Amino acid sequence: MNVAISARGRRALWFSFGFLLVFLYAPLVILVIFSFNDREFVSFPWQGFTLRWYQQFLENPFLLDSLKTSAAIATMTSVVTTALAIPASIALSRRRFFAKGLVSGVLLAPLVIPLVVLGTALLILFNIVKTLIGIDFELGMMSIMVAHVVIALPFAILTIVPRLERIPVALEEASRDLGAGWWTAFRTITFPLLAPAVVSAALISFTISFDEIVLAEFVGGQTTTFPRYLWSQMRLPRQLPQVIGVAVIVLVVSAVVVMLSELLRRRTDTALEASTTVFDDDIGIPTNEVVSA
Amino acid sequence: MSDASSAISIRAVRKSFGDVRAVDDISLEIAEGEFITLLGPSGCGKTTTMRMIAGFEEPDAGTILLRDTDVVGIPPNKREVNMCFQHYALFPHMSVAENIAYGLRLRKVPKDERRRRVDEMLEMVGLAGYGSRRPGQLSGGQQQRIALARALVNRPAALLLDEPLGALDVKLRKAMQLELKRIQHELGTTFVYVTHDQEEALSMSDRIAVMNAGVIEQLGPPRQIYEHPETPFVADFVGVLNGLDFRVDEVSGEDLLMRIGERERIVAPRAGVDVGQGATLLVAVRPERIWLRGEDATFEAHASRITGTIAQVVYLGTLTQFHVDTALGRRLIVHELSDASLSEAHEGDHVTLTWAREDSAILSDTV
Repeated sequence: MNVAISARGRRALWFSFGFLLVFLYAPLVILVIFSFNDREFVSFPWQGFTLRWYQQFLENPFLLDSLKTSAAIATMTSVVTTALAIPASIALSRRRFFAKGLVSGVLLAPLVIPLVVLGTALLILFNIVKTLIGIDFELGMMSIMVAHVVIALPFAILTIVPRLERIPVALEEASRDLGAGWWTAFRTITFPLLAPAVVSAALISFTISFDEIVLAEFVGGQTTTFPRYLWSQMRLPRQLPQVIGVAVIVLVVSAVVVMLSELLRRRTDTALEASTTVFDDDIGIPTNEVVSA
Repeated sequence: MSDASSAISIRAVRKSFGDVRAVDDISLEIAEGEFITLLGPSGCGKTTTMRMIAGFEEPDAGTILLRDTDVVGIPPNKREVNMCFQHYALFPHMSVAENIAYGLRLRKVPKDERRRRVDEMLEMVGLAGYGSRRPGQLSGGQQQRIALARALVNRPAALLLDEPLGALDVKLRKAMQLELKRIQHELGTTFVYVTHDQEEALSMSDRIAVMNAGVIEQLGPPRQIYEHPETPFVADFVGVLNGLDFRVDEVSGEDLLMRIGERERIVAPRAGVDVGQGATLLVAVRPERIWLRGEDATFEAHASRITGTIAQVVYLGTLTQFHVDTALGRRLIVHELSDASLSEAHEGDHVTLTWAREDSAILSDTV
């Protein structure tokens, strides 16, 4: 869309856009620069290019352990969240039921609940489960995973519902009409068409869990996740350069993941678009064939 | 399979959505191999009726039999009918061949037979060789044919078509009407067709059920529906209508007469109508049955004759439409073929309108 705009207005827009870019990305650029700076302290002057920080963290067993822990939690979070988000999204977009508005509010509420509040609440909840109900477990990966599912679920639902709403209900009905039970209809029609959104939801859940620190602090017990490890190392200036190195790697990996999922979503979106577009332009018979009427 | 048996029997079926009575006590017997159309405006209950046959809605009361088996409560996948959806509902992630084979695969038809039947169907809808394409690469008309093939390949007891041509442009729609009729004739499958387009209904159907506000107003062959509408709704909905309040001034042999002036009168057939002098009826005359003549037109026996003034001339291509103010105090619409003789008729001209006795249709629920 092109909106008529004066030359001055255009300049003002470019300026604010530039400002936004600097504001958003300058810290990241600095991070990348310093990850290659051959100096113990994270400050100028530049003392030459090095990869030793990257090498150092690869040899740091604590850091690698924390990465593994976070990856494991994030993987579980992503699987559980997606598994819960699919049926929830179907209910919200395909069914009519009592107090639907309330249910959708409850499901999406974690978006706006402050993490410290949620962390406190979950910690209390886990203690109640432990002491009152008597289920014995240590705070750790499982409790972090549960907490992460709570905050990732609304994002997953908000990713899946819009896609679901663009899949015509008639497709499922056609499948039922042609002999499919509801499960077969879901498996062969709805799910394949929903898959790109499901993949996006899984990736989003993974990244939400992977860099989450507040809830991990509250309900993580002694388990050192990657963000918790980074945070703890901030107190030791000598560790800072290698922490920056890891941060750059995580940054690059998550940027690539997000871009891939977005690309996937767009490509399959256009595919769905094409299938529902109706062309009225021709009669539908190959011109060289004659169909007797 | 005897000809007398019904493919579909709908008996005293009712369906409400909240406070809205979508279908209000409908009964309908659909014969094996018949092309029947449910015709009516949106909200008349035609789609709901079809969806109840397919199994997407369950009736609140009444029964639906498919080939003499009660199907109420049986899910759509267990019913021997297939449906063509309004916007085709082709599966976008499957090829054309996979779309058509979908029902056969679910029925575990062996691969070889599946392939053979898919090719057969593609051939029949005139799209042989299109099997490996995606629905998104096809035009609207082609998608329509694939949807038809996908339903018919399962050899259903009946094919349900929900406004299948609604999304196509006029020219394509006409071609597809002929196609549908040809395919139906070739396969002998029972077709239940839902539309709000009266022309579509008239050109394709063996019988038409005109629906309004959840009930069937009239059921019959197209010619009967068009020429002998039984209710004001049917007369009005199917084609253009000239409705006249008819006062019986005289009963003479087979004629019911309403006198307007010395040489002006309206004649309706007495056939089967038991009315005496002084009764009032509602009579409908189709615009194309009225002759537009000069002022001095001769007087014919057993024919209506009324004079008037042309108020408006509307050129419609094949037809020209005349709006004529008459001595009845009512404006009548007249359709004439647009030939050279009519270029003489202008607005303001005095004319005589005549039509045959049998062309005055008495709307039965006014008797």
